[in-house]
Amino acid sequence: MDFQLNEDQSVLAGAVQSACQPWRDLPADHKRVNAFYAGDLQRKLKADGYLDPIAGGLSTLDAGLIVLETATLPVVVEASGSALIAPHVLPGEEIAGPIALLSGDLTKPQRNLTIARVALVDIGDDVVLLPIDQADVETVETYLGFPYGRFKVAPDLSRGRRLGAVALAALRQWSRVALTLECAGAAATAVAFTVDYVRQRMVFGRPVGSFQAVQHRIAQCHQIAQGMRWVGLYAAFTGEARDADLAAAYAQQHIHKVVFDLHQFNGGMGVTYEHKLHFWTYRLRGLQSEVGGATGAALAVADARWPVKAA
Amino acid sequence: MEFAWPEAHQTYREEVRAALEELLPPDWRETTGRDGMGSDAQIAFSRGFCAELARRGLLLPHWPSEFGGRDASQWEQFILAEEMKLAGEPRGPQYMNVNWLGPTLMKYGTEAQKAEHLPRIAAGAVIWCQTYSEPGAGTDLAALQTRAERVGDHYVINGSKIWTSYSRKADWSFLLARTGPERKAISIFLVPMNTPGIEVVSFPGLVEDGHLNEVFFTDVRVPAENRVGEEGHAWEIILYALSFERVGIPRYRLGMAVLDQLMAKLEREGRASDPIVRARAGKIASKFQAAMLLTYVVVDEREKRAPPSVVGNTSRVGAAEAVLDLMDFIAEVSPDSLHEHNDIGQFYRGNISASIAAGTYEIQLNLIAQQALGLPRGG
Repeated sequence: MDFQLNEDQSVLAGAVQSACQPWRDLPADHKRVNAFYAGDLQRKLKADGYLDPIAGGLSTLDAGLIVLETATLPVVVEASGSALIAPHVLPGEEIAGPIALLSGDLTKPQRNLTIARVALVDIGDDVVLLPIDQADVETVETYLGFPYGRFKVAPDLSRGRRLGAVALAALRQWSRVALTLECAGAAATAVAFTVDYVRQRMVFGRPVGSFQAVQHRIAQCHQIAQGMRWVGLYAAFTGEARDADLAAAYAQQHIHKVVFDLHQFNGGMGVTYEHKLHFWTYRLRGLQSEVGGATGAALAVADARWPVKAA
Repeated sequence: MEFAWPEAHQTYREEVRAALEELLPPDWRETTGRDGMGSDAQIAFSRGFCAELARRGLLLPHWPSEFGGRDASQWEQFILAEEMKLAGEPRGPQYMNVNWLGPTLMKYGTEAQKAEHLPRIAAGAVIWCQTYSEPGAGTDLAALQTRAERVGDHYVINGSKIWTSYSRKADWSFLLARTGPERKAISIFLVPMNTPGIEVVSFPGLVEDGHLNEVFFTDVRVPAENRVGEEGHAWEIILYALSFERVGIPRYRLGMAVLDQLMAKLEREGRASDPIVRARAGKIASKFQAAMLLTYVVVDEREKRAPPSVVGNTSRVGAAEAVLDLMDFIAEVSPDSLHEHNDIGQFYRGNISASIAAGTYEIQLNLIAQQALGLPRGG
């Protein structure tokens, strides 16, 4: 086992970081928004091959590192579906993203639908590859940190291609890996952002971050973010469904603490759009319910490890 | 970065398992191992068991060959630790010897100390205890009051220690004592436990027998050559030893095994299909997965000879969270286990002090906040 990036992985991570660097802040005229989709960055990452890493001969762990890195940005790009999920749902096929991952009632808000060209729709017993015509979609006003949209009327799924049970299992497994890495990137960045803030913000004549009551809870959030990172990367490496379930169960059950604690320490500033915390914390909130949430993932863990014997 | 076990490590794990299968009596868990690794019976068992491990090269493979090891990877040490913990830690207190007491002596001991103690530890037949904490100095170890006064070529030690696991049966003590008035003027001494003036008194408590002892030192004479390091400069050595202790016990492995046993018990009782129970168990399993990987990060650092880092504290916090969640789960769904001497009951009781020993949970958080996050010291 080796928990440090090897030379190739360091080069990859460095290259993705460089591509993302101009997007560490928002454009000057878009600073007071709840979410900002960086289409230019999406196109650059695509053009540079970072959204097709597996087709390019890189590993699933490499693809996971790309998802992790892009999740640290305040802006949104769609990397999970393109880089990590689609190659497992549709191996060998090239899908022109961005890809939305949809489930449930499609006339209700769906993450990334307004930026998607195609969707993978979990319909319960199958997965449908559905082309998206944005004329069929309306934007949903939201404070969650992703673009949300919904279909004006329920789409005709027969226009799509049914991919079968194996693809459905792959969709759920790799969605759990991807959402864990998105959580890890967002949580780590939210912790770092908060640390910067509480070192400077003074209360009662001293920095907020000098109070032990604050330090302990931020330290716990740091531990959680690190835990998310490793369970996510491990699941990306092994490709085992059980590790994906464990990863998502870990990440999603801890979102409430990370979001609550970090907002407490950013105080009133944290609820304004000009203070960037919300980009990461309310993306975490958006991820909290995906693929069944922590309880769904935990039940999957239990079903695999402790199957209920027939009566 | 890659997370596969090399074939050699898998083979080694099988070798350790085979040795355990061969060396432990079939009823070991119900007899000798019943009362935990601090019990007199298990300590006595460990003397023969560890000697046999030593003979087979399975006691301290990660030690340098000059001290009886075979320069094996740190990963092998952890595989060994995982399998031993899973088996109920038949090494008894000797896990401390191989994990941190020996390595600390290698780094800071004199040549004479190394020559005297390391072969004995490597032979697997010596019991050590750590006499650190005092009634008024636990988390704040620098507040300790036990004094060592230099008198000619000896030190004379007076004071008392508490929470001293294994001291009732120990041959030697790794003692911290004050050698000056400054707060951190503390020195380390290697003290034979049969030295006149040492008295061990056990007392009952929540954690298992064998762990709760007081050790009284009355005019105990210790040769000056038994001091480790310079007089009054023990702090660096203590921190070095604690950095091993904090991640030396792979609680995640035993925790997952106990969770499996608990779910099997609930299955037998017809309660394992309850989705509330199942979801809770799945969430706890995920915490153990995170704790395991955070611990492996530390092992990886050690393998690469990196200095001890705050990752060890992060790992310990993750493990504590998982263990405490499992303890709550046991108390909630299987309260009868708290009264039993089986693995589930023993796990609960054995972990009552898990977030206190070797630096409290809160100390770990302090260190993460200050060293990993750079937050200012405060109050």
